[in-house]
Amino acid sequence: MAILVGIGLSKNRDSYLAGKEAAHSAKQKIDSKNISLAFVFATTHFKLEQLLAGIKEVLGNTPVVGSSGVGIITPSGIDSTAATVMLISSTKVKFAIAKETDLDKKDLRIAGQKLAKAALQNLGAAQREVFILFLDGLIKNGSSLISGIKETLGISFPLIGGSSGDDLKFTKTYQFFRDECLTNSAVATLIGGDATVRIGIRHGWKPLGKPRTVTSSAGNIIKTIDDKPALSLYEEYFGKNNPDIRSGKLMHISVRYPLGIYLEGEEEYLLRNALWSDKDGSLICQGDVPQGATLKLMMGTKESALKAAALAAETIKEMSKKHQPLKFALIFDSFSRNRLLGRNAQDEIELVKNILGNDIPFIGFYSYGEQAPLSSLDYRGQAHFHNESIAILGVGEQQ
Amino acid sequence: MMNINTDFIFNLLGLSAFIAAFSLGFVLMLKMEEIKRLKLVLDKLKKSFDELDDQAKLIVKTDLELNKTQEELDKKISGLYTLQRLSRAISTTLDENQLFERIEESLIIELGFEKALAFSFEKTENGALGLVTKMQAGYSAEEVEKARTSLEKEDILSAILKKNAPFSSLTAASGKLKHAMETIKSACLLNSFISSPVSSKDGPYGLIIMGNESALSVLTEGDEEIVSILATQLGQSIENAKLFEQTFRSHQELERRVTERTKELTAALEEIKQTSKRKSEFVSAVSHELRTPLTSIKGYASILATGKLGEIPPAVKERIEKIHLHSNELTNLINNMLDISRIESGRVEMKLLPQSLTEITAKIVDLLTPQMKEKQIQCTTRLPKVLKTALIDTTQIERVFINLISNAIKYSPEGAKITVSAEETADNFIRVDVADTGYGIPQADLGKIFQEFYRVDTAITKGIKGTGLGLSLVKYIIEAHKGTIWVNSKENSGSTFSFTLPIAA
Repeated sequence: MAILVGIGLSKNRDSYLAGKEAAHSAKQKIDSKNISLAFVFATTHFKLEQLLAGIKEVLGNTPVVGSSGVGIITPSGIDSTAATVMLISSTKVKFAIAKETDLDKKDLRIAGQKLAKAALQNLGAAQREVFILFLDGLIKNGSSLISGIKETLGISFPLIGGSSGDDLKFTKTYQFFRDECLTNSAVATLIGGDATVRIGIRHGWKPLGKPRTVTSSAGNIIKTIDDKPALSLYEEYFGKNNPDIRSGKLMHISVRYPLGIYLEGEEEYLLRNALWSDKDGSLICQGDVPQGATLKLMMGTKESALKAAALAAETIKEMSKKHQPLKFALIFDSFSRNRLLGRNAQDEIELVKNILGNDIPFIGFYSYGEQAPLSSLDYRGQAHFHNESIAILGVGEQQ
Repeated sequence: MMNINTDFIFNLLGLSAFIAAFSLGFVLMLKMEEIKRLKLVLDKLKKSFDELDDQAKLIVKTDLELNKTQEELDKKISGLYTLQRLSRAISTTLDENQLFERIEESLIIELGFEKALAFSFEKTENGALGLVTKMQAGYSAEEVEKARTSLEKEDILSAILKKNAPFSSLTAASGKLKHAMETIKSACLLNSFISSPVSSKDGPYGLIIMGNESALSVLTEGDEEIVSILATQLGQSIENAKLFEQTFRSHQELERRVTERTKELTAALEEIKQTSKRKSEFVSAVSHELRTPLTSIKGYASILATGKLGEIPPAVKERIEKIHLHSNELTNLINNMLDISRIESGRVEMKLLPQSLTEITAKIVDLLTPQMKEKQIQCTTRLPKVLKTALIDTTQIERVFINLISNAIKYSPEGAKITVSAEETADNFIRVDVADTGYGIPQADLGKIFQEFYRVDTAITKGIKGTGLGLSLVKYIIEAHKGTIWVNSKENSGSTFSFTLPIAA
């Protein structure tokens, strides 16, 4: 049987009703009673427990996974206050789900390993194809968790995901697992069986100026660059007394001008947002920065960002050329792209929609970080923690 | 030989060493040159690198500026666009409260704000200035109430009123205003905000506050302009709403009065109708009562006049004949009155049948010929050869003809001319004209001659007898046939009475 997909969207102000409404409208579009899995993305203005209860009311015991986002992406556009549900039904494609909670109290590498193992166990004997991760966007060093997952699934096993977001308050983000609204957690979905998958990830940011070396770092904290306090890099480019790089506002600058880590053999630089700076001039980043890494200041433009989104979408579209028709897509789009594109943010989604094909169902959310192999050119590239990127997962079926 | 050889060898060695040393020195020198050159190249490269980096800095700075400008421009464009939509939404209502309802949360977000509040100034029970919430977006009911009570303090309101201009969290302030700004931030849960007074012609109306909770959303000067424009627009719309309210109220008052007056008039009219009905009934009753004794009087007068009860002297006979004559006139008068009251009260049913007006005209003219001859009046009838029949009650219409032609005879001098003519009209009626060359009717009396008991009072008419009921009876009869009657007349130039009657289908 083919893969059947239905999506629903609700902007109802009542959280419970919004859940019911989104689930119901998705269910109406799917001609099947056996629903394998539901993806749910919602903004944090909802009372999310109620939203999930509303969804359960309609879907019963259907497995549900999902995440909160800064905004919701559907074929009808971008919504800053909405919930969306995607229902998937297939007998040949298998789905397994797993969760790891209380991440702040755990060794993230081990948590990653446990998460991957649980998902593998639940999938059973089916051939595994892709690992989808929804991770709390406020976990400081998500890279360790990814390392743990890679150690279990294999270094080059396709991994994609998004870090949950809130309404840019950076206080609490949520992960959905069945009717549980978790925080400080990771939720995994392992897709296997007769599925074919493809991942496209791009950012479009370009390197500027001379390369610099990270002379001291620990996890996601860069202490010194070229033996000078890390913040001095921003001071050099934007002026020492620029009010825009004062601690509270550094984020505004860094989503537009992030740091790019040069990786041998990859087409694009790996981006890191500097969230804020400490008094000693250390930069606290979203994602780890290895000591000894070569860094450059990066610059994004609307044109290059849109072009990158098109490239990511085209990677997915190539599936069809190999007679593996695309059935649905998930999009994890960095909130910083939304900020860079501003009024043109809608154009990015339109662009992706046009390339994927107007009849391809997709949902997504604006995330605090994206997880995917760095370059989509090499399918078996290694998964990394990204910023400023648009990551697209395309799922088709084998014929 | 040996010495020579050793000398030679030494010399040779020395030479070789020299050559070697020389070459080495030379090579070293060359290497040094090379290193020097490479160092130069490296320096050059380093310099270019630094220059490139400087260029990068320049690019970054320019880009930052450009982006800021672009963002501001984008914000302004979308702000203006949203503002336009808001203005349209606001200006299409004239209800003060609805006006605020039109400011939807989605529009606030489009303007680039997460939250918004609007308050109006209102005097509280104890006479102090208070705030009434008019609009809110992005808050819960409790949060709004908390914000309202926190801002409703004398020192804060007076600082805001004193400023009487838009201000934002970016505005440099001190003293009371600074305190007010801090309170707005904490009470309205805003990291950055813009506040603008809303004023109408009558003075300060209230204030709007728009802002962001997230530290990530930054304010710009453009935002202040937009909020200020919105506030001005709101002020104008409130004024319009108030003006409309006033106009609407006075209009309603007017309407209420008109309704009241109409009611009064309707009641009065009803009373008049009742009175009129009672009058008709009274006339009818009295007439009936009068007819009986009158018949007796007439009967006895006739008996007396015959002389059967004994010879009567000529002087008495003359008086008895007068009694008889006057009794007849009185009977006539009473009959007319009875007819009028009957027709008026709808008690007389018109027996409508198709009837030839030519025949009726001939009959009546014939009937009245003796009287015409008496005054040498010439009567002409001008009727079409073929005239459609009219749907009429013959008896009643005969009375119309009798009345009109008799009047023509009565009010014309000797030798006058009377013309009776008829023609069909376009709207399925037959129009009959009775024209005379008599005394005519004074202009002032034309409108009244169809009224009951009205008689034209001139020197000439004084001598002519009449009840003043004939024409009103005629009018009642014609109208009961759904026809109309009118008159054209000029004093001393004769009169033309015209009436219409429906053609029998």
